[in-house]
Amino acid sequence: MFGEEDIVKAHKHRADLINNLVLIAFAIIVARLWYLQVYKGEAFRRYSYENRLRKDPIMAPRGMIFSRNNQLIVHNTPRFDARIIPQYLDKDKSKKKQTISRLAKILNINQKEIENKLRKEGRGQARYIPIVIKKNLSRKEVAIIETEGSLMPGVDVNDFISREYTDEYIGAHLLGYISKVFKNEIKKFQKGKSELEFIGRAGVEKEFDDKLRGESGFEYVEVDAFGRKHRSISNDNLLVGIKNKLQEPGNNIRLTIDRDLQIAAFKALEGKVGSIVAIDVNNGEILSMVSRPSYNPSNFSRQLTSEYWQSLVQDKNNPLRDRAIQEHYAPGSTFKTFTAIAALEEGLIDEKTEIHCPGYFRLGRRKFHCWKKWGHGKVDIYKAISESCDVFFYKIGVKLGIDVLAKYARLFGFGSRTGISLPRETRGLIPTKEWKKKKNGREWQLGETLSCVIGQSYVLVTPLQLTLAYAAIANGGTLLKPRIIKEIFSNSGEIIKKNKLEITADNILKSDISRIIKKGLFRVTNTPKGTAWWYRGWGINMAGKTGTSQVIRLSSDKIFSRCEDAEYRFRHHGIFAAYAPADDPKIAVGVVIEHGCHGSSAAAPVASAVIAKYMDKYYPERRKKFIQEDRRMMAKFRAAREKAKAKAEAKAKAEAKAKAEAKAKNDSANKIKPN
Amino acid sequence: MNYASLIESLKKYDFSFFIAAFAIFFIGIINLYSATHASESLAMSNLYKIQLMWFAISLSVAIGVSFIRMKNLFSYSYFIYGFNIILLILVLVLGKKGMGAQRWLVLGALRVQPSELMKISVILALAKWFSRRHLIGELGLKELILPAMIAIFPALLIIAEPDLGTGLLILLIFSMIAFYRRLKWKTMAIIAIIVLASGSVMYKFGLKDYQRRRIVTFLNPGDDARGSGYNAIQSKIAIGSGQFLGKGFKKSSQASLQYLPENHTDFIFSIFNEEHGFFGSIVLICLYFILFYRFIWLSTSVTRVYDSVVTMGLMSIFFWHTFINMGMVMGLMPIVGLPLPFMSYGGSSLMTFMVCCGIATSISNSRNLF
Repeated sequence: MFGEEDIVKAHKHRADLINNLVLIAFAIIVARLWYLQVYKGEAFRRYSYENRLRKDPIMAPRGMIFSRNNQLIVHNTPRFDARIIPQYLDKDKSKKKQTISRLAKILNINQKEIENKLRKEGRGQARYIPIVIKKNLSRKEVAIIETEGSLMPGVDVNDFISREYTDEYIGAHLLGYISKVFKNEIKKFQKGKSELEFIGRAGVEKEFDDKLRGESGFEYVEVDAFGRKHRSISNDNLLVGIKNKLQEPGNNIRLTIDRDLQIAAFKALEGKVGSIVAIDVNNGEILSMVSRPSYNPSNFSRQLTSEYWQSLVQDKNNPLRDRAIQEHYAPGSTFKTFTAIAALEEGLIDEKTEIHCPGYFRLGRRKFHCWKKWGHGKVDIYKAISESCDVFFYKIGVKLGIDVLAKYARLFGFGSRTGISLPRETRGLIPTKEWKKKKNGREWQLGETLSCVIGQSYVLVTPLQLTLAYAAIANGGTLLKPRIIKEIFSNSGEIIKKNKLEITADNILKSDISRIIKKGLFRVTNTPKGTAWWYRGWGINMAGKTGTSQVIRLSSDKIFSRCEDAEYRFRHHGIFAAYAPADDPKIAVGVVIEHGCHGSSAAAPVASAVIAKYMDKYYPERRKKFIQEDRRMMAKFRAAREKAKAKAEAKAKAEAKAKAEAKAKNDSANKIKPN
Repeated sequence: MNYASLIESLKKYDFSFFIAAFAIFFIGIINLYSATHASESLAMSNLYKIQLMWFAISLSVAIGVSFIRMKNLFSYSYFIYGFNIILLILVLVLGKKGMGAQRWLVLGALRVQPSELMKISVILALAKWFSRRHLIGELGLKELILPAMIAIFPALLIIAEPDLGTGLLILLIFSMIAFYRRLKWKTMAIIAIIVLASGSVMYKFGLKDYQRRRIVTFLNPGDDARGSGYNAIQSKIAIGSGQFLGKGFKKSSQASLQYLPENHTDFIFSIFNEEHGFFGSIVLICLYFILFYRFIWLSTSVTRVYDSVVTMGLMSIFFWHTFINMGMVMGLMPIVGLPLPFMSYGGSSLMTFMVCCGIATSISNSRNLF
């Protein structure tokens, strides 16, 4: 029999086998280590570095926009967003839920809302793309998230610069707005390798987007597996030799716009649908350009809610449209000025020509009415302009013909874009015979000429064109290119581009004709029978022309009905174009009030408000003088009116007396003649 | 016991196991410090202190164990085993949830993991069974049925916790003991076929979802690099990036930036490799081999079958832990949560390994008592 010791000894062989097994196992491990660490080590080393380095873009701050007086009107403000990066969320469902509920508590929003957002926005995109949970965090919220960050893997705070518009609604159309660039647009707008987040969508923001944008930089940051930035700088030389690129801020823009005028214009348009353009008649600088209704561009870069967007899009008055340049209207009587210029230039009439206005003009079987039912009687060019006699212009229009009129209208910039540095400018329309033939194949009718000479039917102008044309009259015949940019300068103050005066057309008005027209326009506002006499404002000293733009053609029975009685959408547009001061023009203003009925009552006060503000600011001495002059004139006017009244009364008395006497005479005669 | 006899018994005392254990633990504690020092949480960065405390406790326990006579251990083998089985059942009934599994038993302030103790208990019970006098020659299937039951029953209990790693480990320990105890090659072949067949059935029906995912991940880790394949890939990056000499002490980026989860427990070997490279790993593996070799040598140097089987069983605990853990972190094996002896953080496992060394010391000492 074996002793127990022998039984143990019998296991020697198996023990050796086990020993070999251990050796083989270790050999496998060592071989694997060799493969990973020596054979493939370099690749893994590189990978381990890439693992922890993240290239973070640094967005360049967008350039700021200033008014002509260096007031800041568009700037950037830091904002904070809470985001979740799905990739770094805890794999464990309960832990993930914990993170979300913690975040929901901090942000004071519903947990479900976060989950929905993650599901909806995360669909179909890579898991490393952050999903914004809440925008515009308060400093307190930011602080809490930062301190509790380690408890919420996958959550981080994104700080960025938000675009803010100082005056919000005021001048929104001119300044435009920026919004996030869509994925499919990036290629179209991206320049070089610069990261793109926002682009200008309208106005100056769009037109000068590449100047304002700047160039993004990037930096390498060390992150942990949850995407959190690691604060402690590692003691090995990982970040040595890796270059960050600094961002280059965008250029700043100084506009020609006067902020005070903008505010005044915006206020003057309160409750109205329309626009106003004010320009410096001597250099074409736009001082003010406002369109209402307006929108708040800050909302686009901050937090454009779908409700706000829907409200803008669904608004019948289309607040997104810049009515000053993107909308055109029949200019109405404001266009008569140019008919007059054409007739004068062509030598059809002169200062002394008088035409009789019986209240209508008969062309074939059709009667063309003057706005004054019983007519103006004898009308010369001054009276025709100041009282806006239609028949006067019908008569010269027939002689003039549409093509000649179009030639002069074009000379003043109508029918073509002004070339303002703003997107989507419309060109309006000046019809010709050829145009009509091309358009619908029919011959031009003489009756259409009659409509066109008084600025109705086919003639379409933008408020900006109208203002520029009146500015050309004001400065004696120079059509200027409108300018909104004074200069573009870099962040260090270096001037990159200075906008110079540009002339579209020179010497388009002979000086004696200019004098006649100016005199006529002056009478519009400064003689009691002028169409804008009652709405000329106080101490303005402007010269201008009212206009009424027919929205629909009126049947003859409605021609003289009250505009205010019509349905809103059928009411006429009120138009007014003017310049001031009349003797030494500085500013030209064009106003269109949609469905305002009259150029005088609706549009003229808006223009005078802006001009008053302008004069107060730039020529206070003259403004004072004008006010005094106005007082004097009004006193004179009142005196004259009193006198006229007294005279009329005396006359009436005398007439009554005469009548009574005649009656008495008759009576006595009757008595004499009994049978 | 007088002074001279104390000197005498100290001379006979086998320090080799404790010395080898201490050598590895020394590397382990430094590595643990390096892996956790950069952590944001104080609890993590103080982990190495707790590990040191556990080492002190388990060393004193192990020294105590080294003075237990093997005769006593022999006679209490089944009792210890039975007691441990009861603990396992208790865990299942009222265990505390940790890491999604019930593994702990809370006794006042003490948290006990009966599955850890079971690794030793099962060895003792198996050794007692295999040391029966009539088992002289090679063993067949018939002699294997009962010891198989001894191993499979606790293994099932542990798998039910669920802790697949430790459950399978018990079975692996059993298989190595059976192999050592001269199982016939033919029988082994039959068992291998049965295991393979039942294994594939088990995979289909017996595994939890996350367990199956781990196996799929192991076969193709790139499949879901951010999901379940994450650990496997990050671990390989950590090891590979160490290259030949490593990035240096405290310079692991994978660990300090938290790319590698569980880097202080199951994935400690990755950090060690990242910081000390191929060279460092060779040194560590040599230390392990010295320890294992000492066990293997001891197993055939004893006079009693019980001692021999226990020694080889203890060796198998170390071997399987080491091999599986290393294989797992370098992508040779699916990810199973088994700690690396003396390297991974964890009081329970440290205690187990130290007690193993204590028992081995006791066996080695008893060799010289005659």
